[in-house]
Amino acid sequence: MDSLENIFLQPTRRDVLRLGVACGAAGLLCGRGVAAAQDTAGAGALEGLRLPGVVRHEARHWRSLPDRKVRCVLCPRVCEVADVERGYCGVRENVGGQYQTLVYGALCSANVDPIEKKPLFHYQPGTTAFSVATAGCNIECRFCQNWQISQFRPEQVPSVEVSPQRLVDSCKAAGSPTIAYTYSEPVIFYEYMYDTAMLARQQGVGSVMISNGYILEKPMRELCRALTAVKIDLKAFTESFYVEQCAGQLKPVLNTLEVLKDVGIWFELVILIIPTLNDSADEIRRMSEWVVKHLGPDVPMHFTRYHPTYRLTNLPRTPVSTLERCRRVALDAGVRYAYLGNVPMHKGENTYCHKCGTELIHRVGMQTTDNRLRDGKCPKCGTAIPGVWSQAQALSVTSRPADV
Amino acid sequence: MPSSSNRREFLVQVGAAAVGAALGSPTLARATEPQAERPRPRVVIGRDETIARGEPSEHAEPIRKLLDAAMQRLTGASDAAAAWRTFFQPANRVGIKVNTLGYSTHPVVVDAVVAGLRAADVPAENILIWDRFDSELVRARFRLNKSTTGVRCFGTDADRVGRGYLKEVETSGRIGSCFSRIVAEEVDTLICVPILKDHNLAGVSLGMKNFYGAIHNPNKYHDHNCDPYVADVVSHRYIAPKWRLTVVDAVRGQYHAGPGRSPEYFWPFGGLVVGADFVAVDAVAADVLEAKRRDAGLPALAEENRPCRHITTAGARGLGEADLKRIERIEV
Repeated sequence: MDSLENIFLQPTRRDVLRLGVACGAAGLLCGRGVAAAQDTAGAGALEGLRLPGVVRHEARHWRSLPDRKVRCVLCPRVCEVADVERGYCGVRENVGGQYQTLVYGALCSANVDPIEKKPLFHYQPGTTAFSVATAGCNIECRFCQNWQISQFRPEQVPSVEVSPQRLVDSCKAAGSPTIAYTYSEPVIFYEYMYDTAMLARQQGVGSVMISNGYILEKPMRELCRALTAVKIDLKAFTESFYVEQCAGQLKPVLNTLEVLKDVGIWFELVILIIPTLNDSADEIRRMSEWVVKHLGPDVPMHFTRYHPTYRLTNLPRTPVSTLERCRRVALDAGVRYAYLGNVPMHKGENTYCHKCGTELIHRVGMQTTDNRLRDGKCPKCGTAIPGVWSQAQALSVTSRPADV
Repeated sequence: MPSSSNRREFLVQVGAAAVGAALGSPTLARATEPQAERPRPRVVIGRDETIARGEPSEHAEPIRKLLDAAMQRLTGASDAAAAWRTFFQPANRVGIKVNTLGYSTHPVVVDAVVAGLRAADVPAENILIWDRFDSELVRARFRLNKSTTGVRCFGTDADRVGRGYLKEVETSGRIGSCFSRIVAEEVDTLICVPILKDHNLAGVSLGMKNFYGAIHNPNKYHDHNCDPYVADVVSHRYIAPKWRLTVVDAVRGQYHAGPGRSPEYFWPFGGLVVGADFVAVDAVAADVLEAKRRDAGLPALAEENRPCRHITTAGARGLGEADLKRIERIEV
């Protein structure tokens, strides 16, 4: 595993002066960051450029309340936060009636990943995404794979400070056309993601948000001005699952999906299938029918395999047969592109023309090994395949609607 | 044959149960007495007009005397040292959990607690004043001491000595958290010294709420007036079995706009609220705060949609007594 710092272009002298020396708080969890997000470079490998505590930056999307309290209006939790307290996410703090984000550019994980790992299968297949995260999340999934960064507060996770420009420069230097905001929950580092994505777009770099979709409409619409694609985890299709397993709600996520559809940005869905909790054929059918009706048949759905982790360790791994059944149910409901995830070498990882069935993109694990698309069309029948197939296409929409 | 650590835990719990039975602490006495026969827990409110004037730091001696007097009434002991020995033995490793978030525990009150422990022959090196962060302790005017001599004082985040949080998440009721190594490994006995203050979500922030500072993710557990999460945290094996005494710093309370520091709502109560039943102490202290709110013409906490549910829940779970009618309230 590379040192987190090594993955970025060298900081400017000013950056170094700001970062200063290693801080005690960063060592709080003694190496937690090394293995923080799976398969990412954690800041624990870094010695000497850790952040001295947390960074502070003015937050957006909040309102003042009496007695120096604030109301956060970034995500559906709409936390009321008293002076000196933080919101549910643990990364936004009320300081004397002013709301601040503590993770602006405080990156705890970074890696250059295949775009297929996000997963985005209809977005420039075969390219890479320069993937970054900060600590924090605005929900708590009992099965979170990256809980060691998502469920901690910024001072508890070793991080390095990377300015938006430095991140864009690092992405370009790595040869990646895209920055992915991922691993934890990018909604909670909204300000940094927004500013970086805006800057990146101006400089020919795309930005994709890999998210739970737990965000209010206004910030989501504004963010779509800057992003080039989105992947949303649709955790299940019942409120009870969201409440009991994620400390969240389903309805706001569905609202986000409809906003994305309305805005016209490319997005895909991932559904982590967990035995007995969200794997019934009926639930998948209802979910798929909702997707087709409200989002259209072209939105890809990825049914991925659960592995026991974090607070949900008493269930077995998802049988492949269950995933295959989910995929079949989705296809039968009219979804044109349904995939399997976390099942390497399975044919359900490949893309097939929805018109003639020709295999278009062959994948092995998270790698595209053969892409037969011609200008985004099926080489056999000429059908246009929905997706974003080039950087020019990704960046072509320069002004997306932001009205709420 | 139990492992040494298990045996140590066993001995701690046996000792705690004996103390609890003697002082009507249901949590600690639970193993030895049927609930129906529990004695009414005693909560002592000590007040002294002199400490209500000026700054609390000016009144070290009166505060120490007031605390000793409260301890004697609490235990029925003939002298202060004997009162402290009722709860604490020289071999104990005592953690004093203070509240340094926003409006903070006054160090002068903690000094009085330390004096009581020393009177019970607890070595200074066995006493640790702690909270989440070194920085917050310093801001609250505690003096850090990370050496091996004297009363120690540092945060969970303290480099080398604090050692952060346990790496494994532990479930207790509905919470899933990593606990501070201080509360999990460093100490075997706890005293909670919160400050009497309002909380915008939980209603009050007193002894039980103060232990949100023992977990890595308190931000996750503020919904629904922090309930049942506060009870989930304190009922964990790292806390309830170790918790011997609560001393609420009520020298100068804050009856509104907490937990941050809001001087416009300070009130010179000039007192301490002391007891072994941590639920009962919180119930009485919350009642004191509610009374002040009434006097000030403010709505009851429940009317502001922030009832102290967590105290009720803790009582319903048998962690202590939440019913004011079943608490022996003594004023000195």
